[in-house]
Amino acid sequence: MNGDPQIGFERWLAEPSAGAAPDWLESFRSGAREDVRARLLPHSKEEAWRYTSVKSLLEQGFAQSDETMTALQPDDLEEILVPGFETHRLVLVNGRYVPELSAPGDWPEGVRVGGLRALLESDPDALRERINATVDEPQPFFSALNTAGLDDGLVVLLGPGAIVERPIELIHLSVGLDEPRVAQPRHIVRLDAAAQATLVERYVSLGNSVYCTNSVVEVSLGRDAILRHERVQMESPNAFHLTGLYLVQDENSHYMGVNIGLGARWARTDLNARFRGRHAECVLRGLYLAGDGQLLDYHLDVDHAVPDCRSQENFKGILHGKGRAVFDGRVLVAKDAQKTDAAMSNRNLMLSEQAEVDTKPRLEIKADDVKCSHGTTVGQIDPEMLFYLRSRGISEPLARRMVCLGFAGEIIETLGSEALREHISEQVGRRLEATSLS
Amino acid sequence: MLSVKGLRANVGDKEILRGLDLEVGPGEVHAIMGPNGSGKSTFAHVLSGRAGYGVTAGSAIFEGRDLFDLEPEERARLGLFLAFQYPVELPGVNNTYFLKAALNSIRKARGESELDAVSFLRLIKERLKILHLDDSLLKRAVNAGFSGGEKKRNEIFQMALLEPRLAILDETDSGLDIDALRVVADGVNALRGPERSMIVVTHYQRLLDYIEPDYVHVLAKGRIIRSGGKELALELEEKGYGWIDAEVEAA
Repeated sequence: MNGDPQIGFERWLAEPSAGAAPDWLESFRSGAREDVRARLLPHSKEEAWRYTSVKSLLEQGFAQSDETMTALQPDDLEEILVPGFETHRLVLVNGRYVPELSAPGDWPEGVRVGGLRALLESDPDALRERINATVDEPQPFFSALNTAGLDDGLVVLLGPGAIVERPIELIHLSVGLDEPRVAQPRHIVRLDAAAQATLVERYVSLGNSVYCTNSVVEVSLGRDAILRHERVQMESPNAFHLTGLYLVQDENSHYMGVNIGLGARWARTDLNARFRGRHAECVLRGLYLAGDGQLLDYHLDVDHAVPDCRSQENFKGILHGKGRAVFDGRVLVAKDAQKTDAAMSNRNLMLSEQAEVDTKPRLEIKADDVKCSHGTTVGQIDPEMLFYLRSRGISEPLARRMVCLGFAGEIIETLGSEALREHISEQVGRRLEATSLS
Repeated sequence: MLSVKGLRANVGDKEILRGLDLEVGPGEVHAIMGPNGSGKSTFAHVLSGRAGYGVTAGSAIFEGRDLFDLEPEERARLGLFLAFQYPVELPGVNNTYFLKAALNSIRKARGESELDAVSFLRLIKERLKILHLDDSLLKRAVNAGFSGGEKKRNEIFQMALLEPRLAILDETDSGLDIDALRVVADGVNALRGPERSMIVVTHYQRLLDYIEPDYVHVLAKGRIIRSGGKELALELEEKGYGWIDAEVEAA
């Protein structure tokens, strides 16, 4: 691989077919292409890739997805909609925004939501200051790949004080093509001062095909803005999933993120948060469930660059069969970021002896007047809990499921919508039921 | 109802029960008293099927079945109920969901239909009243963050709901103040009936002022060394457990 390190990703770099893109975007793309070609592949000697190999991803020979699936009818979405979940619905298929499948509804004044490509066609400079605005250079490898292929995605722009009541639901649907394809959507989310919204990203598929999603989400929150950001990864069991979140927060803004990971055979999630103004709060919660043949890898990087901010990182995992997970959480507190309040926790429930988790919470504190904590646990189901349930007539498999769902419930119950909570509980329960739980 | 004969049981290598015999008839309330380490709690646990105990001899025939051939859930479905000394907290497990799963498992085993949501709610609200428990309990996770008194009341509430044929109360009085004890005892008394037997395991006579037993047994070194009526409890209260040692030595 050393001779031509990028050969496996060369086909991800095919020029987007969309044609005329604004010059500034074209220069982002070509710059990223050069950047990626000059770089080594992620390898196990890099701290960020210590536990996860990209070998299986390379072997698939994914190619950039350049077709829009328009053959789908709204009826085809039935099986992936969440019953009772009332949203502004925006649908991307294989990385492309498809207005025919979307049901955005009406927006209050000062709100602009839609497909990225469509927005650039009508207003080429609209995102000039927004794209790549929250991602530090040099970009991480897969984010650079995303930039190189940047062509479509979802844009959510809220002007000052704008409030969107109903959740904005982004359904990223993958449909199998003859050839294994990679979709690389770029989502741009900007809330101006005091704006408020809920964004729910759902990554789903029709069928069990092999594909790859490599999404990048840029979120910037203005002063006093509030964003609830819930992300549900329920890709096909044969899919590869990569996502990079880049969050920047101004003064007194609040971000409440929940990351649910249930699908994909190989998934890598990078959550990067940076405080730019004081008294801001960032909550990152997560729940992952990995079984046979699955690897779910989470990396958190929270940068307390300024004083007086709060962050909370709480991830819980359930591992069964030969499932594997990685949690690598880093909280960085800069020298003058006094009065920082940060609490990181990662707890794992192991349901089998073959399951594996590598957990590594890290606090790097350079300030001296802070309140920071971290904790991590890896344990089995408490036999006392099982006995208690069984002594009430409940069968052992159901008792196990109840304890697991209880463990997961702490995260699930933080989702904003009852309909979504029920949906996730049901999905988790179904997956637990399908395993032998031995 | 329950017939225990020659029960011997180990914890690890140590023999705790050394030939225990007990007959409990329908509707009877038996108190089992004894000093610390006499095997009272072990007896309760062995009957309910907790792991970590080895039954080496004897039988416990309940409703025609030997309990030791059955899994804990099968014993519960036959009508056995253990009120725990230390009820287990189940974070994230909703109390209503738990109660419904338990009740329906037991009903199914009895050949009864599962209760629909409306009848189930009506039933639990009615039973909550017996224990002076608040509705809000139903929305909470099982025992999680409950006070000691709430936990014990929740045990008796579950008993009221599951309507066992034989209830074993394991040190139900421990950690309760006198008011809480009275509420729990009232709950237990409300559930007494000709078809429901109880084994009340306790260190102190105090509980028996409120739950009046038909029989009292004194357990020492893994065996019942004396049986009598409720006056035996008073005698124990007066003399303490000291005399037992002498009696066991002499035997």
